[in-house]
Amino acid sequence: MKNKLYLYLKELNKKLSIRQKINFAILFEATIIAAISIFIFLTVRTLLSKVKFVEQFDNINIYFLEMRKAEKNYFLYHDINSLIEAYNKGKFVAGELNKNRKVLIHILTKKIYNTLNYTLNNYLTTLQKIKRSPKDKKYTSSLREYGHKLTDLSIHLIKRERKKINKIIHHVTLMILMSLFGIFLAHMLTWRYFSYVLTKKLIKMKKMTNEVAQGRFHEVSLIQSKIKDNVQDEVGIVITAISKMAKELEKREEQLLQAKKLVSLGVLISGVAHELGNPLNNISMLSEGFLTYYDSLSDEEKKKFMQDIQEQADRIKKIVRNLLDFSRQKKPELKVCKLEEVIEKSLALVENQLKISNIKVHKNFPSSLPNVQIDEDQIQQVLVNLYTNAMQAMSKGGDLFIDVFTSDTKNNIIIKVRDTGIGINPETLPHIFDPFFTTKGTKGTGLGLSVSYGIIRQHNGKISVESEQEKGTTFTIELPVYQENKEE
Amino acid sequence: MAKSIIVIDDEEIVCKMTEMTLTKEGYEVETFVDSRKALERIKEKKFDLVITDLKMEDVDGMQILQTVNDLYPDTKVIMITAYATLDTAIEALRKRVFDFFPKPIRIKELKKTVKEAIGE
Repeated sequence: MKNKLYLYLKELNKKLSIRQKINFAILFEATIIAAISIFIFLTVRTLLSKVKFVEQFDNINIYFLEMRKAEKNYFLYHDINSLIEAYNKGKFVAGELNKNRKVLIHILTKKIYNTLNYTLNNYLTTLQKIKRSPKDKKYTSSLREYGHKLTDLSIHLIKRERKKINKIIHHVTLMILMSLFGIFLAHMLTWRYFSYVLTKKLIKMKKMTNEVAQGRFHEVSLIQSKIKDNVQDEVGIVITAISKMAKELEKREEQLLQAKKLVSLGVLISGVAHELGNPLNNISMLSEGFLTYYDSLSDEEKKKFMQDIQEQADRIKKIVRNLLDFSRQKKPELKVCKLEEVIEKSLALVENQLKISNIKVHKNFPSSLPNVQIDEDQIQQVLVNLYTNAMQAMSKGGDLFIDVFTSDTKNNIIIKVRDTGIGINPETLPHIFDPFFTTKGTKGTGLGLSVSYGIIRQHNGKISVESEQEKGTTFTIELPVYQENKEE
Repeated sequence: MAKSIIVIDDEEIVCKMTEMTLTKEGYEVETFVDSRKALERIKEKKFDLVITDLKMEDVDGMQILQTVNDLYPDTKVIMITAYATLDTAIEALRKRVFDFFPKPIRIKELKKTVKEAIGE
């Protein structure tokens, strides 16, 4: 039941806009204030009627007292007028009691009213009896008894009502204080809620706009899909708009990138011509030498010639492959696999080079990692590229740390590749994923990290870099965990 | 006495093949992949002919040419180049480059040009 209510509220929270929520909160508070006002109004009305009653009853009490005074006078001076006066006063009260019968019964209860009425009647009858036979002592004592009972009763009733009034006043005061406190509390809670909701979302927005500012459009367009309880209120709409804008920007950026590629193609072609020229020249010289000196070469030397030619051909193949990778960003061929195995394989590829470069590898994988759906070759290519960069940054040797873990949300696997090399200077850092950007002179094509970035992005992942000069560089790759139920 | 030739190219195969060809022709050949080391060697020893790649890391062909011109004005220099821009070609010719070898280098041409340069 409680859970149902919670779910319902959560659903409502998603549906309502901030304006509606504020309206709702104000309406809710207004209702509470109205209810409290009505309650106070009713209580005060009761209070007033009680006060009025006490006033009336005070009157009655005065009459009773005067009645008894006349009665005493009669017994002292045996003046028949006093007796008549007592009788008239009593009669008047009886009339009053009768007149306000309904109200009195309501306040005093029927039993007390009847007792009062009955006693008064007895008193009056006894008075009449005394008037008829003044010498009879029997009536005198019962008159005193009735009189006594009447004044006692009326004083008791007044006291009782006064007590009730005090109690009501006390309650009303407490009630007002508590209501004020309640309203204050509700106010504070609403305020807290709105400021929390708004600031939380605004912070998220700030994050998104920051990412946009830094040109990481893809990450921004991903943020929205990551927000699970995506509330469609005003801020939610803005977030959706930013995310849409980022998607558009990303598209434009891709177009721009294509255009940039074409522009750079000229530069690239001359570079490639030079790159290809050397191995081609080598092959040409080797084959010509082979033909020219064939007769004088030993079998071993002939073999060496062919091996050299093969090597040069491989060199060309590698250049062409790099170029192809860049020019057409292949769609990844996704397969479910274990990331730790892919990492091991990628490490095996550079094992020798690492050894030669005097670099120690520190692997830190948890015993079980969730599966990922990736193009194994492409991810290997990215990793090897990162290792190569690390090796170049640690020309004097060092440590290469590879940490793999699952993100807090369990939705991503994070790979951190950290070196203890020379680091990247802060001005270069923002450009390292740009195509054709290189710090390696003619040795780099400026395509490695750009291609890596494209690959990770096509895997719906993220790649980022942190670096401190002379301390080292850390590349962080985030890849989404493979979720079985997502498969069609 | 055999004529001495120094070959400087950052491509090992070029060094190896040039050395092989020219040795068989009876020249005394030294090869360098590292152009800085080659420069040191040139300062130590006067060669009859210098064959150098134009575009190299660290010390490039033009620097080698400059040094040779300064130290041994009568030593001839042959430039190997994949593509020479007009500017470098004019500059090189002004500095008395004997010839350009365009890549790919043909062994027959190599032999012929070297013979012409040393003038045997």
